Amino acid sequence: MTKRIDRRAIVRALIVFVVAALAVFAVSTIGSTAMADTPDAATAVAQTSAIHADAETTEAEVTVDDTAADAPGTNRIAQNVFNGLVFGLLLALASVGLSLIYGTTGLSNFAHGEQVSLGAMLAYFFATQQPVSLPLLPWEFVIGWPLWLAAIAAIVVAGGTGWLQDRFLWSKLRKRGVKMVQQMIVSIGLSLALLNLLQWWIGPDRLRVSIAIEERRQVGPIQLGDTTAVSIAISIAVLLAVAYFLLRTRLGRATRAVSDNPALAAASGIKVDAIIRLVWIMAASLAALGGILMALYDSGTKFDVGAKLLLLMFAAVTLGGLGQPFGALVGSLVIGVVVETSTLWLGPDLKYATALAILILVLLVRPQGILGRAERVG
Amino acid sequence: MDLIYDILREAIAPTTAAFALAAIGLNFHFGLTGLLNMGQAGFMLLGMYGYAITVREGGPIWLGVIVAIACAAVFGLILGWPTLKLRGDYLAIVTIAAAEMIRYLGRSQNLNDLTGASTGIRGNDFKGSFEMLSPFPDSQVTFLVWTFHGTRSTSWWLLVVGWTLVALMLLMYWRLSKSPWGRVLKGIREDEDAVRSLGKNVYSYKMQALVIGGVIGALAGIIWALGASVQPDSMGRPTTFWIWTLLLLGGAATIFGPVLGSILFWGSLVAVKGLASLLIPETLLNTQELEPFSLTLVGITLMCLVIFRPQGILGDKKELAFND
Repeated sequence: MTKRIDRRAIVRALIVFVVAALAVFAVSTIGSTAMADTPDAATAVAQTSAIHADAETTEAEVTVDDTAADAPGTNRIAQNVFNGLVFGLLLALASVGLSLIYGTTGLSNFAHGEQVSLGAMLAYFFATQQPVSLPLLPWEFVIGWPLWLAAIAAIVVAGGTGWLQDRFLWSKLRKRGVKMVQQMIVSIGLSLALLNLLQWWIGPDRLRVSIAIEERRQVGPIQLGDTTAVSIAISIAVLLAVAYFLLRTRLGRATRAVSDNPALAAASGIKVDAIIRLVWIMAASLAALGGILMALYDSGTKFDVGAKLLLLMFAAVTLGGLGQPFGALVGSLVIGVVVETSTLWLGPDLKYATALAILILVLLVRPQGILGRAERVG
Repeated sequence: MDLIYDILREAIAPTTAAFALAAIGLNFHFGLTGLLNMGQAGFMLLGMYGYAITVREGGPIWLGVIVAIACAAVFGLILGWPTLKLRGDYLAIVTIAAAEMIRYLGRSQNLNDLTGASTGIRGNDFKGSFEMLSPFPDSQVTFLVWTFHGTRSTSWWLLVVGWTLVALMLLMYWRLSKSPWGRVLKGIREDEDAVRSLGKNVYSYKMQALVIGGVIGALAGIIWALGASVQPDSMGRPTTFWIWTLLLLGGAATIFGPVLGSILFWGSLVAVKGLASLLIPETLLNTQELEPFSLTLVGITLMCLVIFRPQGILGDKKELAFND
């Protein structure tokens, strides 16, 4: 294990980065007359979201933030960094699960984004006062549970889907000895199926899980809403619990042992399949929690919210080191801050693109990620 | 009866030809070389932009095609350079991320003048010069059971060009896969280290395959755009996944697999929608829900295909690239 980063890799990364930056710069100077007409970013965003009423969910959210940031006493940079940290925490809830699955089974689960959407959709399903129905069933009914009950129910059901998936799909595939790449494509098929199933079930509209309007208060240089504060508390508590579980409990130690070396873990008496099933349940519930909190934070959600986050999760997991749950946390925070602060000088419709650029750069310089062990990945 | 006509129409439509082309490109990547390119839609989108913008700014058709090809080739080079040395699933993640970046850039408000942001480029802005070349009459033409317009949009003219291109690419795939070059690629697919030990530059061969397949994807993008318009959101991740589904359906590493897969995929999609709207009452599945319903089935099909018959309809189990 060497600390030294290969110099050739850095040179390669720099050249690719410079070429890409030049290309983007060249293209944007050609098309920059549009930007010249609009004096500041906030109005551009407002126009964007006015023109495309169905534009990306996050753009609308940014508009809110930007107008809020214009209030006196609010430091725009501090606000964006703070938003980024919050976003990173919520993202971490989802990506820790992705990382655990990768660590224990080696699977890059492309359907993990849909687990996030599923959580949000289930919470909406249980909490909304609107009539809801199930696919292919003609009855409409109103459940209308309070938010906390709906959220718990959603997490339990989502955890159940994790169990179902492992029991009836992934464990069977592992037993059949299906190759990893094949399993990855199976997860792509699953994500396609789940995405459309959610759209079919809940519909293509943007939904509000909670109707309450968040009140924002001035805390130092930033503005903070009550719901956001609660979300932060919940996500920190849950992440700490996951960390405690992994580091201090017997099961957690067994999980890390399976991540390290499944064969050795099995030989020392750990039930590898049971551990993997537990990981699936945990990952699915964490993703659902992330989806619900994200829906509250963005004050709205949509059937494809997770699909949009999937690549950010991959970026976070890769950045932190594939299969390293704490790496996923660090990676998520970095990605969150980068995504939110990039809106200071890039258009908000490019904020996800910056995260993907980081993903590619990391793979160029340090494919094993920040916390990952150096190993040959090619 | 209408349903059968719809299926037949879809089977030869330019979209089907475009997806067949994209799948042939992917066949170079995956079928021949074993590369997991999950960003084929990005290559298609670059092809579309390259062609549509060049022609809109007054360039001739041949220049548009060259720009499209050049964009895809450069994209392939930039993409392949850092990633082709990494393990398969890394390549998958990077290609999918890069394709999404292209889409985000394309729909970005900053590039409104160039790409038209999320509304894209209207068909009328770039289709004119291509439609002028049409030898067919400027009216509806019926041939056997099919009726298409002679020249405009989804026309006989585009159809002939599209399928001719498919035939040419099939010929190229057939010749190349039988050539010494193709055998090296197959060797890389089966066992990279073995090929390396024979003194071949694996990296360079992979790069060539990536660029060739990507360029074919760009051509597919042009055909697609000429049948509709340039729309960045139509080239998102689902499009790549459909291309994968239809390639695996027809059979990866086969010559006619992509074409058969494309025809079957789009034909059966129309069939499923038609049958579902006939058989399932409106109260259970309204017209708005038909699309997600049928695409859910596509996802399930992809899962079942990969698990139970990874070689597809025409494929040979021994020629499979799932080697990681």
